[in-house]
Amino acid sequence: MNVFLAVLWKDLVTEWRSRDRAAAMGVFALLVVVIFHFAWPGDDRARARELAPGLLWIAYVFAAILGLNRAFSVELENDAISGLAMVPRDRGTVFLGKAAASFAILMAVQALTAGVFAIVFEVLDWRSIPALAGVVALGSLGLCAVGTLFGAIAVRTRFREVMLPLLLLPLLVPVLSGCVRATADVLAGAAPSFAAIQLLIVADAVYWIASFVSFDYVLDE
Amino acid sequence: MSAAVEACDLAKRFGRHAALRDIRFEVAAGSALAVLGANGAGKTTLLRLVAGLARPSAGTLTVGGVPATRPESRARIGYAGHATWLYPALTARENLWFAARLHGVADARERIAALLDEEALTDAAELPAGALSRGMAQRLSLARALVHRPALLLLDEPFDGLDSPAAERLVARLRALRAGGHTLLLVTHDPRRAAALCDTALVLARGRVAAELSGRPSADSLERALAEAA
Repeated sequence: MNVFLAVLWKDLVTEWRSRDRAAAMGVFALLVVVIFHFAWPGDDRARARELAPGLLWIAYVFAAILGLNRAFSVELENDAISGLAMVPRDRGTVFLGKAAASFAILMAVQALTAGVFAIVFEVLDWRSIPALAGVVALGSLGLCAVGTLFGAIAVRTRFREVMLPLLLLPLLVPVLSGCVRATADVLAGAAPSFAAIQLLIVADAVYWIASFVSFDYVLDE
Repeated sequence: MSAAVEACDLAKRFGRHAALRDIRFEVAAGSALAVLGANGAGKTTLLRLVAGLARPSAGTLTVGGVPATRPESRARIGYAGHATWLYPALTARENLWFAARLHGVADARERIAALLDEEALTDAAELPAGALSRGMAQRLSLARALVHRPALLLLDEPFDGLDSPAAERLVARLRALRAGGHTLLLVTHDPRRAAALCDTALVLARGRVAAELSGRPSADSLERALAEAA
C-alpha cells in the first residue's frame, strides 16, 4: 500500500506542478471535438447522435495515448525508472500507482471533453451523466491498465512515441467495442446494455491482473 | 555468515552479444570492492545485475545469501550513480520522502532530516531537485540511496561530472560509510579513487575478469592491471 500511494502521490504532484500531461491531453481532445464539429453538417441531429459515441471515444483514446506516453517518459529523466524498479516489494505495486495516477488524470480530461462535446453536439441529457461517467470510468480502467503496461515497455524502445499506439490499439478493441456500444445506449437515453458492461468488466479484470503480474518482468532490462 | 555479494559463473547476454562471461567474485560484508575496466568492459552491467535491475543469463548471484532477483535482496541495496534517479519537479526533501515511502522507512521524517544534515543539504531541502547543482544533486542522490539504511551500497561512476573538491568530499563520505559498516561495490574507471576506497579490485575486459587484486591495491598496481587488460 505504501508503494502504491507513494507512486500515485509522486505522479499527481509532478503533474500538478507541470500540468504538461493534462494540458496536452485536454488540448488534443478538445481540438478533435472542435474539428468534428466543423466537419459536421449542423442540421443532421439524428446522424450526429448516431456517430457521437465513436467520435467521443476517438478523442478519448488518442488523448489517453498522449498521456500514457508521457507517464513513462518522465521516468527516463535521470534514469528514475531504475529507482522504481529497485522497490523491495512486488513491482506490480508500482504498476498500480502509475495506472491509478493515469486514470485520475484521464478522468479529469474526459470530464472536460464530455462537457464541451455535449454543448457542441447537443447530444447529452444531464440525467444521463451518471451512466455516462460509469461507462467512461469502466473504459478508462481498461485503457489505463494496458496502457501503463505497454507504456513501460515502449519507453525503452527506440521509437517509443510510435510504439505505444502500435502495441496498445489492437488490444483495446474489446474495451472500445464495449465502450462505444454502452455510450450509444446512454446518449440515446437508455440504460447501457448488459452485454457491453459485461464485456468491459471482463476486459478490465483481465487487463489489470495480467498487467499486475507481468510488470515485474517489464521493469527488468 | 554469508558474503554480502557472491557471484558464481555469472553471465549476461544481450541477444548474441555476451556482455559478461564466467564472472566469479565474492565481497565480504563490511569490505569494499572496486570494479574497473575500459568503456564497454561490462562494469555497469555487472552492477545492474547485483542491483536486480537485470536478470543473469547464466550462473548465480546472491546478495546476503538471497538471489539478486528477489525483492528481499533489493531491500539490502542502496544505489547511487552518475544518473541520480531524482525527480526534478520534486523538492530535495520530497525526493527523499518518496524513496523512503518506496522502502517502507518507519521513521522517514527523522531519517530524512538526518540525511539532509549529513549531506549539507538542509538549506536546499525545499528547492526542486532540478534547480540543484551537479554536486548537490549527487549528494542528494547518495542520501536517497541511504534512506532505507542499506547494508550494501552500489556506486556507478559516482565521481563523474564532479569537480575535484566535490569528488574528494565524496571519497571522504564513502570512507565514513565504510567505517560505519557499509559494504561498498564501486564501479569506476579512476584507479586513484578506487585505491583510496577499496580493499579488493576486479579488472574487467571484454566481459571477463582480467585481473583480481586484493590486499588494498595501490593506484599504481590498478593502473598496471588496467593497462595489461586493455
